[in-house]
Amino acid sequence: MSAGGRVIVYSLLLLWSAFVLFPLYWVVVTSLKLPVDVNAGPVYVPWVDFEPNLHAWRDLFVTSLGDTLRPYLNSIIVGFLSTALCMLIGSMAAYALARIEYRPTFGTIVLFVIAMLAMAVAVGVWGVDWRVSAAVAAAVFVLLARALGRRFKRRIGNGDILFWMISQRILPPVVTVIPIYMMFQTVRLLDTHIALILCYTVVNLPVVVWLMHDFFTSIPLDLEESAQLDGASRFTVFYDIVLPLARPGLAATTLLVLILSWNEYVLALFLSTSKAQTMPILVAAMNAGEKGILWWTMCVVIIVMIVPVILMALLLQRFIARGVLLGAVKG
Amino acid sequence: MSTADVPSGKRRSRAKPLRITGLNKWFGANHVVKDLDIEVAAGEFLVLLGPSGCGKTTGLRIIAGLEAADSGQVLLGDTDVTNMLPKYRDVAMVFQSYALYPHKTVAENIGFPLKVRGLSPGEREPVVREAAAQVHMEGMLDRYPRQLSGGQRQRVALARAIVRRPSVFLMDEPLSNLDAKLRGYMRAELKHMQHELGVTTIYVTHDQIEAMTLAHRVAVMDQGVLQQVGTPREVYDRPANLFVAGFMGSPPMNLVGGRIEQRRFESHGIRLPLDGGSEARDTVLGFRPEDAKIVDPGRGLFDATVYAAELTGDVTLVTISLGEQSLAVKMPKEYEVDFDSRVAVHFPLERGFLFDARSGERLDARLVAFS
Repeated sequence: MSAGGRVIVYSLLLLWSAFVLFPLYWVVVTSLKLPVDVNAGPVYVPWVDFEPNLHAWRDLFVTSLGDTLRPYLNSIIVGFLSTALCMLIGSMAAYALARIEYRPTFGTIVLFVIAMLAMAVAVGVWGVDWRVSAAVAAAVFVLLARALGRRFKRRIGNGDILFWMISQRILPPVVTVIPIYMMFQTVRLLDTHIALILCYTVVNLPVVVWLMHDFFTSIPLDLEESAQLDGASRFTVFYDIVLPLARPGLAATTLLVLILSWNEYVLALFLSTSKAQTMPILVAAMNAGEKGILWWTMCVVIIVMIVPVILMALLLQRFIARGVLLGAVKG
Repeated sequence: MSTADVPSGKRRSRAKPLRITGLNKWFGANHVVKDLDIEVAAGEFLVLLGPSGCGKTTGLRIIAGLEAADSGQVLLGDTDVTNMLPKYRDVAMVFQSYALYPHKTVAENIGFPLKVRGLSPGEREPVVREAAAQVHMEGMLDRYPRQLSGGQRQRVALARAIVRRPSVFLMDEPLSNLDAKLRGYMRAELKHMQHELGVTTIYVTHDQIEAMTLAHRVAVMDQGVLQQVGTPREVYDRPANLFVAGFMGSPPMNLVGGRIEQRRFESHGIRLPLDGGSEARDTVLGFRPEDAKIVDPGRGLFDATVYAAELTGDVTLVTISLGEQSLAVKMPKEYEVDFDSRVAVHFPLERGFLFDARSGERLDARLVAFS
């Protein structure tokens, strides 16, 4: 590239970086302003336009440390645990869908749905204990499926299962949030970590399955067959061959799912009241207090909220490199 | 596998015979393997030869356990392995794509079969080193597959297959991704290695040169059906049917369509007497280009016209036209002839074959000299 071209390219990149980074800078600067300075309008240069002040930081981390720390820890627990759970279940499901052909009959699925409905009615209408109801429903389903399974002819395939999974994301979460709230109320798990972790896991599962399915199918089948012939069990193939090769996909998906659950708002709003409250709720609460909108504290919270995700991104970024499959097959 | 199974030093494999009976495989409505019966002796090198899509690779994958047979049996030694998982079958396979694990070094690749059998790194090391030495890769144990050339990857794949001394070696076109020069070299290496190890080997290829040079016996397949099994010489010199005759050799056997009538084979400008009585039927006459020679008109078995002559290096390949058909004759490289000149073709009568035109089977009738 000529020197002139280089100048143009780098100036464009510089311009774009400034464009992208400015909001972050604004947030940092605002977190250091006194309320008067914030209200004085858009001025950005510390020590020139205003005198930096740590009052907002002091408010959050000295005066009311407990109130800040709890949602922060909650977010970390819920975000990381649900991501881990989601990746664990999701990648195994995706691998199974990528490599094993499933041919469940349509009738069996209908039976399962009926059993689930019956269980819901038993719990909701007749007030049966949900554990008892679930056990009975499962038993009835297994027995019926075994007895009637051979009569069903129409079958669905892996593609249908995959589509059904992703179709879970078609409904906006706000539509399902009331039923979910009622369900957790019934099982007395409102305002607990476990409720949020389970919810986020289920909500993000389709994303993981869908993305990882793509990564797994891109791994040459020869490698897995070769490993099988070398004497590896299905689990060893998955653990020792497939997972290392899917590492870029795993890293990218983990990051995406972590960000999704980290920023999740609607479900957290309904399912947590105080003990399990997460960071997005805390941020939102800042503009509804009796003291008006607290831009300065909000900015502090936003900054601390961004940090773990950035750290994870830096950590995972080195795995999101191409060329992992180089040298596997052909020349 | 315990350490006792992998003694160090010069080790020969516990080669086992392999028997396949009545094997059938369908892919949907596609009958890809039809009633396949093959027996492979312990230590034998059998080549499954056929055009692409003839079912040879599917057959190999059924032996490996990567594909389930719809009917039939695979016997390895005295064990019925038909429904056994690949990992319990004691077979090793070299894939066309090599299938090296890209995230593992050469040493880890070669040692993988031992690792999954629970050998400790200390136990693995000498065995891996020996297998690597056998394929001349001992200096590259720390490299990754992406740092190797195609030929080197091929060697690593071989080493990974031999490292655990399997009872049966399966190879699916292992040389087809190499360039021509390397392929010739690796072919010799393979043959030498198989001889040294004495492993029962089944080798799939569409390349008849590979089949001829490597095999103890060749099994020719077409459209899922086994056409002929025999030593390379038998398959080449006594093809069982038209398909084998037309597939083997380059150029393949000349085939002239005609009819048997009154103990004579008759075709466009050809009339050759037969020894045995054979009823009248449509017949194909076959003879190899290298068995035939071109002589002056009227002095051969039949007259024809020269269509083209090409010097290929070691021979001059003369294409002659006989009616609608064109035939190939290999002549010495010094041979020169004018295009469109009238010539005659001659070949030793015992080198001519007659095939039934409808079934393709070779007939017992032989050509004899004019009486």
